[in-house]
Amino acid sequence: MRSRKGPWLWLLEKEWRELLASRAWWVLLFVMGPLVGFAFISAVRSYAEASGLGGTAAGVGEAFSPLVGIWAPTFSACELAAVFLLPFVAIRVVAGDRQSGALKLELQHAMPAAARIATKGLILLAGWLIASVPVIAAIILWRSYGGIIYVPELATVGIGHVINAGLTIGIAAATASITEHPATAAIVTLTATVGTWILNFIAAVQGGIWERLASYTPTTMVSDFQHGLIRLDAVIAAVTLTALGLALAALWTRLGVPVRRRLAESIAITALALLVITAGTATTKSWDTSESRLNSFSTSDENALRSIPGSLTIEVHLAPEDPRRVDLDRRVIAKLRRVRPDVNVRYQSATSIGLFEQTSAGYGEIWYDIDGKKAMSRAVTAESVLETLYSLAGVSPEADNGDIFRGHPLMARPAKAAMVFYVLWPALVLSAAIAIQGKR
Amino acid sequence: MADVAFSIRPGEILGLIGPNGAGKTTLFECLAGVLPPTSGIICLDGQPLTVRSRTRTLFYLPDAIAPWPAQTVRWALDFTIGFFDGRRDLLGRVVDGLELGPLLDSPIGTLSKGQRKRVLLAIGLLTSQPMLMADEPFDGLDLRQTREVAAILQTHARSGRTLFLSIHQIADAARLCDRFVLLSAGKVCGAGTLDGLAGLARSKGSSASNLEEVFLAFT
Repeated sequence: MRSRKGPWLWLLEKEWRELLASRAWWVLLFVMGPLVGFAFISAVRSYAEASGLGGTAAGVGEAFSPLVGIWAPTFSACELAAVFLLPFVAIRVVAGDRQSGALKLELQHAMPAAARIATKGLILLAGWLIASVPVIAAIILWRSYGGIIYVPELATVGIGHVINAGLTIGIAAATASITEHPATAAIVTLTATVGTWILNFIAAVQGGIWERLASYTPTTMVSDFQHGLIRLDAVIAAVTLTALGLALAALWTRLGVPVRRRLAESIAITALALLVITAGTATTKSWDTSESRLNSFSTSDENALRSIPGSLTIEVHLAPEDPRRVDLDRRVIAKLRRVRPDVNVRYQSATSIGLFEQTSAGYGEIWYDIDGKKAMSRAVTAESVLETLYSLAGVSPEADNGDIFRGHPLMARPAKAAMVFYVLWPALVLSAAIAIQGKR
Repeated sequence: MADVAFSIRPGEILGLIGPNGAGKTTLFECLAGVLPPTSGIICLDGQPLTVRSRTRTLFYLPDAIAPWPAQTVRWALDFTIGFFDGRRDLLGRVVDGLELGPLLDSPIGTLSKGQRKRVLLAIGLLTSQPMLMADEPFDGLDLRQTREVAAILQTHARSGRTLFLSIHQIADAARLCDRFVLLSAGKVCGAGTLDGLAGLARSKGSSASNLEEVFLAFT
C-alpha cells in the first residue's frame, strides 16, 4: 500500500520533528523573549526620555524616528541571536543525521541531496520566524502605546534580519556538512563570524578596498537595513552566499561521492557564486524606505544633483578613522552615491587615524571637481557640501515643498512589556517545550 | 579491498563471513553507495546498476547506528514506510515478530543495544527493495532473540526477498544462510554453499566439514 504523503512531505515532517526535539532551538526561543524585551524596553525608555518625559527638553523629538529609536535597537536582539544561537540550531539540524547514522538510511532514497538540504533550510527558516514572535509582540506593544509605525521601514528591518538569518543558516549548514563533527562546525561558523568583524575593523582603519569588502559583511548589511536602506548589491551577495552555503551542504551530504569530486564541485560552485557576487557589485540600485529619508537628500537636492552635468570627482584628504571622514561618509557621500552613482571619491591620507597629519598642509581639505572646475572646502556637513557643489556647477535647487520629517516623539512608558517578555513568553515557551516533549 | 567478485541469486540468504577488519562493512557500504569505490561495478541481470536503479534494488541496514534518536519507534516505522515507500502490509507481522509492541512509544535514543537492533531490523524488513543487506543483524541480541530473528529472516527470504547478511558469529551464519562469501584482508577467499566450500577445502588438503573449519581453512 502506497503512502498518501509524498516522500518530500515525510522529510519535511521529519525535519520539523527534529527541530522540535532540538534543545538548541528551545533555548533560542526561550532567550529571544528577554533579549528582545530588554532591547525594546530600553529603547522605549530612551525614546520617551528624549521626547521630553522626566524633564528633558521637549522638542528634541522633532527629529525622532521610530526606525532609529525603537526598531534598530529592538531588532539588534535578533542579530545577536542570529550570530550566537541560530548557528547551533542549524548545525544540530544538519549534522544530527550524520551523527546518528540516519543519513546512511535516508541517502538510500533517490531524492536529490539539494532537496534534502533545502528542506532543512526551510524548516530552520520557519524555526527562526517562530523565534522572532517576540518582535511582533514589541510591534503590537508599541502601537498600544500610541507609537507610529511606518510599514515600509519596519518591513525593511524585518526583511534584513530574515536575510541575515538565511545567511547564518547557509554558512552553518555548509560547515556542518563539510566538517566531521558538530563541535568543529560550530567553531568554524563562529570563526567566519569573527572573521567578518575583523574585516569590518580593518575597513574602519584602512579604508579603500577593505571598506568596499566590509560593505558586504552581515553586520554592515544588517546596519543598512536597520537604517531603512535596501542595497540591491548587498541583497544579491547575501542571497548568493546563502545559496552557496546550502549548495555546499548538499554537495558534502552525499556520502558515496569521492572527496576529490566533491572538492572539485565545491570549487566550481564557489567560483560561480563569486562571479554572481562580483557582477552584483556593479549594481548601484538602492531603495531608501525610511520615513525620515535617512539615507537620502531632500527631493529638491536630489533633483539638483542629478541635473549637474559632467563627471563629479571628490578628493578627500582625511584619514579613515578621522571622525570628520566618518561623518562625511555617512551623512554625505553615502547619500550622494545613491543619487550620483558615477561620483568618483578618492581618499588621500598617510596614516589611519590622522592624528599626526593635522599639521600637514592640505590635510582636512576636500576638493570637488566637476568637469575640470575645482573648489575646496573643509566642511563635512551635508548643507556645506551641497552648497559647494551647487556653486561649482552653477545650479540651484528648487525650494523645498515642506515635506520635512518632523519625527514622532512619544512620551510613553513600556507598560506591560516586562510582563510579556520576561514572564509570559518564557512561561509559554517552557509550557510548550514540556507539552511537546511529554508527547514523545 | 581488491579482487572482490561474487554473485547473489534472487531469494537466497547470502552470508558474508570474515574476521574483524576483513572489510565486511566497507564492502557493504561500497555496494550501498555510502562509500565511494575506487573502481568496480555492480551488475543486475548483466546490466550495470546505476545510482537510481541501485536505490530501487537494494536497501542497506548499517550496524551500530541510532537513527532519529528523539523520535519514537512507532514514528520511525511509519517514516520508513512513508519515505521509502515501504510495506505497510508487513507492519503488524514485523512488530509482533520482533516484539516491538512495548517499545512503540519509546524514543529510539532511549533503547538498549539489542532493542535498537530489533528496531533497525524492522526498518529493513519494512522496506520494499528486492534485496536487503544487513550488517551484523544479530549483534546485540541474546540467544533466544537471535533464533527468533533468524526465523523471521528466513520467512522473509521465503517470501521472495534476497538477503545479504554480514555475520560475525559463524554458527549463526551456518544456521541461516544458503550460501557464503568468505572475506579476509579485503579479498574474497571463497564463495559457495557449505558443501561446495568444504569440498574445495578438502581438495586443498583440509579435513573441514563444518563452516568454522572451512572458514579457518580458507583464511
